Amino acid sequence: MILSYLKEDLIYKFIFLFSILLFSLNINAAAGGACKDYGECDVFKYSLNDIESLQRGAATYINYCYGCHSLKYSRWGRVASDLQIPEDIFFENLVFDKSIKPGDLMTGSMPAEESAKWFGVAPPDLTLVSRYKGDDWIYSYLRAYYEDASKQYGVNNLVYPGTAMPNVLMALQGNQRLVCKNIPVLARNGGEKRDDQGNTITKEKCGFLEVEEGTGQLNKEEFDSLIYDLTNFLVYVGEPIKATRERIGWYVVFYFLIFTALSSLLYREFHKDYNMKKGKA
Amino acid sequence: MTEIAGKLFSWLNTRLPIVNTFERHLSKHPVPSKVNFWYLFGALAAVTLIIQIVTGIWLIMPYSNTEEQAFSSIEYIMRDVDYGWVIRYMHTTGASLFFAVVYLHMFRGLLYGSYQKPKELVWIFGCTIYLAMMAEGFLGYVLPYGQMSYWGAQVIISLFGAIPYIGESLELWVRGDYYISGITVSRFFALHVVALPLVLIALVFLHLVALHEVGAGNPEGVDIEEFLDDDGVPLDSVPFFPYKVLNALVAIGVFMTVFSIIMFFFPEGGGYFIEMANFEEANPLVTPDHIAPVWYYAPFYTMLRAIPDPLGGLIVMAAGVAIFFVVPWLDRSKVASIRYKGIYSKIAITLFGVSFLTLGYLGTVGVTEVRKIMSVVCTVIYFAYFLLMPIYTKYETTKEVPDRL
Repeated sequence: MILSYLKEDLIYKFIFLFSILLFSLNINAAAGGACKDYGECDVFKYSLNDIESLQRGAATYINYCYGCHSLKYSRWGRVASDLQIPEDIFFENLVFDKSIKPGDLMTGSMPAEESAKWFGVAPPDLTLVSRYKGDDWIYSYLRAYYEDASKQYGVNNLVYPGTAMPNVLMALQGNQRLVCKNIPVLARNGGEKRDDQGNTITKEKCGFLEVEEGTGQLNKEEFDSLIYDLTNFLVYVGEPIKATRERIGWYVVFYFLIFTALSSLLYREFHKDYNMKKGKA
Repeated sequence: MTEIAGKLFSWLNTRLPIVNTFERHLSKHPVPSKVNFWYLFGALAAVTLIIQIVTGIWLIMPYSNTEEQAFSSIEYIMRDVDYGWVIRYMHTTGASLFFAVVYLHMFRGLLYGSYQKPKELVWIFGCTIYLAMMAEGFLGYVLPYGQMSYWGAQVIISLFGAIPYIGESLELWVRGDYYISGITVSRFFALHVVALPLVLIALVFLHLVALHEVGAGNPEGVDIEEFLDDDGVPLDSVPFFPYKVLNALVAIGVFMTVFSIIMFFFPEGGGYFIEMANFEEANPLVTPDHIAPVWYYAPFYTMLRAIPDPLGGLIVMAAGVAIFFVVPWLDRSKVASIRYKGIYSKIAITLFGVSFLTLGYLGTVGVTEVRKIMSVVCTVIYFAYFLLMPIYTKYETTKEVPDRL
């Protein structure tokens, strides 16, 4: 009797452990390869409660990106109120077309047919880019431009080789190049290999991104943080309710935990009652 | 006041079998007194069905079933409709969890022989519900008209093309156009919101009526009708209301906790509940890198891919679903529950579970040589579980089933 129970249990345990194994395999499979020549995408952690970051991101987007890339599912007024920018300041500084009202969609200003001629492909709408490309991808992509004279705009991208977009932020970032570096060769034990004189043995490896010093208005940290804010803004605009959703979620989960606790107490109470009746009968 | 209410109630009750129905199906409906957690997924499936129907009704209101507006109306729901995002995420999470609980519910059936005489019809209605759900899920997946909606539909509808002679015209008839277009979307919409829900509700009703006629099973496979008390009520039973209802309520609490964790914190389910590519509007000119079905179809998609010939693949895939219908006649065992079945049945069901999960995994990842072999092996194991069932259930030594629960 006991043995048969054990066996039944073993079936579940085996299948359960197996499904966990498959699940972990799947997560690993999904993660790799999205950033092409760049290797693994850099990890991006959004912070949608950092309103200032979102405000800076919105400003960068509207100044540098909005000319070509619309946000056609998003409304001007919604962005202003979600990012806690007073409407008069918002419209004075960030909305260049004075006929626009707060309820209008951010449909962009470039005609799609013309731009398709200019760039070979019409610049896509970016409202949902954080949802179909992922924030890691955007954060890596915008920092992976490098000089490549063979391309139409003189630049190429490690994350998206052959991208049709010029490096709009080059003035801020400066000239980024692919360079080769002498990398210490690692021994089997993980330490650096040295020759007889004690000098580190190096090997030339290529494909590193390096900004030519003094060519950009921002240094590396400043530029990275600019891209961080911009990506953060795109995460926001991809799902404006995200921060609220996560906040409300705690209350709902808490509610259902209480619900579960109370209903299980009720269940126990009723069963006590029932067992007593059965015992009497 | 109470007198008037009492009179009104008795007026109603003489015209409508309220008390009768309540007693027959709830307060006096006997259910086995001892069951385990596997017996809760039916109730959870019912809860999910209700969630899907209610959220579905509210989604219809702002949704637009035209080629031009289908995609943007979803974004309108997510952004401009007050709490539209709650309704939509409930519907997407509900869809995946509906399949999850139904798969567990079906596995329970296989574990404890819930299809055995006299429950064959309960099982068959259940299988039909599953079939209708697969169609419902597919139709619904096309409605947001994202890239994966478009290309997923393209792949599925082109399956009809593999049928000899009538294939191509059938494909055209289903699509209503030479390629997937607004025509396809609007007819899928009609089927998704009216036709199939009606079928599903009717089938669920029949599933329950048949169940109440023959009585619920238990993990021991004991027939509780054998030992009755003086009133003719099975000794090993409890009334459905309130005891089982309260039991289900606890399960619903746990389930809704999981449901809300997914819905509020991981609504995309890591790309499995809402695929990333589906946030891009349908584009007939650009094929996504990797067309993968939603996870709940993945095992059958792998079977389709395992066979190099399209028609052969289609037949194998259809057989994979259809074979569930005949399980009541494949099982020749004297006992119902896996607890009393022999070692062959235990090995068989473990291998079946493992192969089904592996097929599911393989359906969501790209194809390599090794994976191709794995998918063939798993498909063979999957079918062997069913086709060899008459043999291994008949010629194994089973244990003695006790009289009482």
